[in-house]
Amino acid sequence: MHLSDRVTGGFLVLLGAFAFWAGSRLPAVPGQDVGPAVFPMVIGGGLMLCGALIVLGVGRSFEEPDPEPTEAHAGLARWLGKRRVLAALVPPALLLFYVLAADTLGFLLTGFAMVLIAALSLGATLRLAVAMAIAAPPVIHLVFYKLLRVPLPEGLLAAPWA
Amino acid sequence: MIKLTRRGALAAGALAGLARPVLAQPRYPARPVQVIVPWGAGGGTDATARIVASLLEKEMGQPFNVVNRTGGSGVVGHAAIAQAAPDGYTIGMITVEICMMHWQGLTELKRTSYTPLALMNEDPPGVQVNAGSPYQDVKALSEAIKASRPGQLKASGTGQGGIWHLALAGWLGAIGLRADHVRWVPSNGAAPAMQDLAAGGLDLVTCSVPEARAIIEAGRARSLAIMAAQRNPQFPNVPTLNESLGITYSVGAWRGLAAPLNLPAPIAQQLTAALQKVYNGQEFKDFMNARGFAMTWGDAGQFERHMEQSDATLGAAMREAGLVRG
Amino acid sequence: MGTLLDALAMVAAADVLIAIMASAVYGLVVGSLPGLSATMATALLVPVTFYLSPIAAVATIITASAMAIFSGDIPGALMRIPGTPASAAYTDEAYAMTRKGQAELALGAGLWFSAIGGIVGTLSLVLMAPLLAEMALSFSTYEYFWLALLGLMCATLVARSSPIKAIASMLLGLLFACVGIENPGGVPRFTFGSTDLLGGIEVIPALVGVFAVSEVMRAMTTPEPPPLPRRRFGSILAGQWGLTKKYQWPMWRGNVIGIIIGVLPGAGADMAAWVSYAMSKRFSKEPEKFGTGHPEGLVEAGASNNASLASGWVPALLFGIPGDTITAIAIGVLYMKGLNPGPTLFTERASSMYALYIIFVLANIIMIPLGIAMIRLASLVLRAPRAAVMPVIVLICAVGSFATGNNLFSVMLVGLFGIIGFVMDRNGYPVAAMVLGIVMGTMVEQSFVTSLIKSDGDILPFFERPVSAVLAAMAIAALLWPVLVWAMRRLRHAEPA
Repeated sequence: MHLSDRVTGGFLVLLGAFAFWAGSRLPAVPGQDVGPAVFPMVIGGGLMLCGALIVLGVGRSFEEPDPEPTEAHAGLARWLGKRRVLAALVPPALLLFYVLAADTLGFLLTGFAMVLIAALSLGATLRLAVAMAIAAPPVIHLVFYKLLRVPLPEGLLAAPWA
Repeated sequence: MIKLTRRGALAAGALAGLARPVLAQPRYPARPVQVIVPWGAGGGTDATARIVASLLEKEMGQPFNVVNRTGGSGVVGHAAIAQAAPDGYTIGMITVEICMMHWQGLTELKRTSYTPLALMNEDPPGVQVNAGSPYQDVKALSEAIKASRPGQLKASGTGQGGIWHLALAGWLGAIGLRADHVRWVPSNGAAPAMQDLAAGGLDLVTCSVPEARAIIEAGRARSLAIMAAQRNPQFPNVPTLNESLGITYSVGAWRGLAAPLNLPAPIAQQLTAALQKVYNGQEFKDFMNARGFAMTWGDAGQFERHMEQSDATLGAAMREAGLVRG
Repeated sequence: MGTLLDALAMVAAADVLIAIMASAVYGLVVGSLPGLSATMATALLVPVTFYLSPIAAVATIITASAMAIFSGDIPGALMRIPGTPASAAYTDEAYAMTRKGQAELALGAGLWFSAIGGIVGTLSLVLMAPLLAEMALSFSTYEYFWLALLGLMCATLVARSSPIKAIASMLLGLLFACVGIENPGGVPRFTFGSTDLLGGIEVIPALVGVFAVSEVMRAMTTPEPPPLPRRRFGSILAGQWGLTKKYQWPMWRGNVIGIIIGVLPGAGADMAAWVSYAMSKRFSKEPEKFGTGHPEGLVEAGASNNASLASGWVPALLFGIPGDTITAIAIGVLYMKGLNPGPTLFTERASSMYALYIIFVLANIIMIPLGIAMIRLASLVLRAPRAAVMPVIVLICAVGSFATGNNLFSVMLVGLFGIIGFVMDRNGYPVAAMVLGIVMGTMVEQSFVTSLIKSDGDILPFFERPVSAVLAAMAIAALLWPVLVWAMRRLRHAEPA
């Protein structure tokens, strides 16, 4: 996911232009000279300027090189090889899974699946992954449900203390 | 103490159940009830809901758990109440915003999306000025407003289009002025507005008197009037608009309990009866007085009519202020 | 003297002492979990305070919030995941110290200077409350505007990458802050028809996403770093006296800045930490060491955010105006318990006030032993394999963000901000600057727009008042700073040619 400054700067210019355009279309508010449009437009303008400067490479000398890791990879990253950056999508995907599944499966089962998949992706042994997946969700449930009174979904498997 | 009495109540309930084994349906409530609050923990609505829930729990013998469902400026929580199963195990505290948001085109939800249970509180707006302000009463202030050029005087109390903004707009309308004759300075709630009033940045603030209380007691501001039918017993020195100006305009921020639409009538009646007991109890009174919140009771029918009236008044004020969309 | 003895007796009551101990442990746990801030720790205590005596109720809030602000430093130092927004400013620094094998020094500094900040802040509350309150009331929206702008400029001072990228990140944060209906116009902006976006993007999901989730994402793609040398965790307080003497001046500056920012309604511990860290770097003799594991900034910012916590109570107690989100909740509890804010609280209920002061000091003293225990416990994370720790963090991120509003949408936001943070970090855009933008966005816009409405569109009042003129000069100087640096570098480059 290393992108050149041209790409990221260009994206910022586009984003700034969008903010400016969308801001300018916001309705004026009666009784306010400075309406809700001004702030997004100022930010949009600023983003366009910064993006352009980044594309042009101004101020790049400040940056330090990112040390490229050389050690051996494990888990999903090793399996993916050159495309290992895709492994980074596992955590957001797991969060999406939580959003979709938590209400039906319940917290304990969803948590089990999330911890298991995340641990295996990070290269844990099956034994460690299963152990963590069984142990961690109940502890978290206990802390959040009992101590912090967060209404976690029961779903198919309810905790004994719920 | 509480635990013991609850256990006692449960035991009594169990005995009663044994005595009448023919009753097929379990008595409501047979399991814990969820009370949804559309606003964050720690605020006034949350505090009110929590005291009501803890008293309902004593009254009905099952836990009433308060759950804050925030987000979307109240829309998310109000929607969660309306969309829950109408089985009596999810109720919620709805607030005046339900009669405002649909006018702004923010949501389809309105007062008719709920089974009203009971109105518990309504806080009328007050009119506050800086302690050093030349206006000694609301009559002098309204003369000064009439004499000022449009936009010269500045008022605040909440965000643009919020309840206190509408209070000002409605009041100006009642004295025959345009809604934006006094310019509204949006703020993040009553406290920052009162601070700016004390700092000399504003001419008047139209938040409720309890919200202004601390600054008034600190001698930095004065309350000239409240926009309500009667004086607030907590603040007996503050006259109503009707007394001073002969205007009957009144609007307020109210809170009440409601359930999803089509809640079975027996359950609704049972809840309303329990809420009435809570309302008349000493603990609720003590709490409301301590916070300075005005107590207003309305049973299901009265609450429904109250919402209807609130909806119409606020809709008119919002149209006047140019806030109605869609 | 009589009132002081009364106060001591009030605090020494068994229920109060138990409340303090329990809420201390609670605050430490909540603060150290990513996604649960000090504000949430306080909010979740409200239902408990229903059943407590007035002094015990307020004691739980004071103690839990102080502990949570400190313990937010712990995951920041150990895993580069700040527990609360107030720790975000110096997380990279503390983590760099851990990688250098100085975890105990970094965490000890957080603990020691948090306690000092809390006690100094309390002293300011005791000695200067009326004076500080006067200051808070003299701040109008014009002053707030410059203050907010100065806060934003800290992003460029703190960043180690290119200042332009830091500004771009900050603007991105400001843009996120625009989302929703909570703006001066009350108009939905950038909501794309979604009800969930109406309420805007909150700081907590963004913070958890860009720090915690993106850290796990990084772990997914990189090999496990070489384990730290296996050794017993050394003494936590050993180096702190040396640091106190060496960085005496920054420490005091941090305390003073924290007190001032805390007392201003609307600006709290988050901003105090940022401003102090930036000040520390700006005025340090060795600014080049910042970001590489240098304790100076930790000393100043660690003292600052806890000092602000105590002084935030000044406007709350005197006028019922919240100094920050924590005192906003506390005010509700004060009313409920019959301790109505106002000057009469200081005269008619003087013994209760003294009791509050004593609780503040007590909380900051027991913070040290409890904090040491917590640090020792938490440091086990450093020994555990990454594949065991990171999955648990993902799950905590999900539950923690859900808990902010019991809304699954926050969990989606966390995932989204994880991706944003990951991409930004990979390409040299500092994520902390973006978080600052989100934190400050509302305040910048609110103060700017309301000031213009009040002045009928005139710019002059922004510079007329004495305090606003000083703040304006400082903000403009900070604004021009990166340009100046860049121009000087250009000149220096041009000279040899």
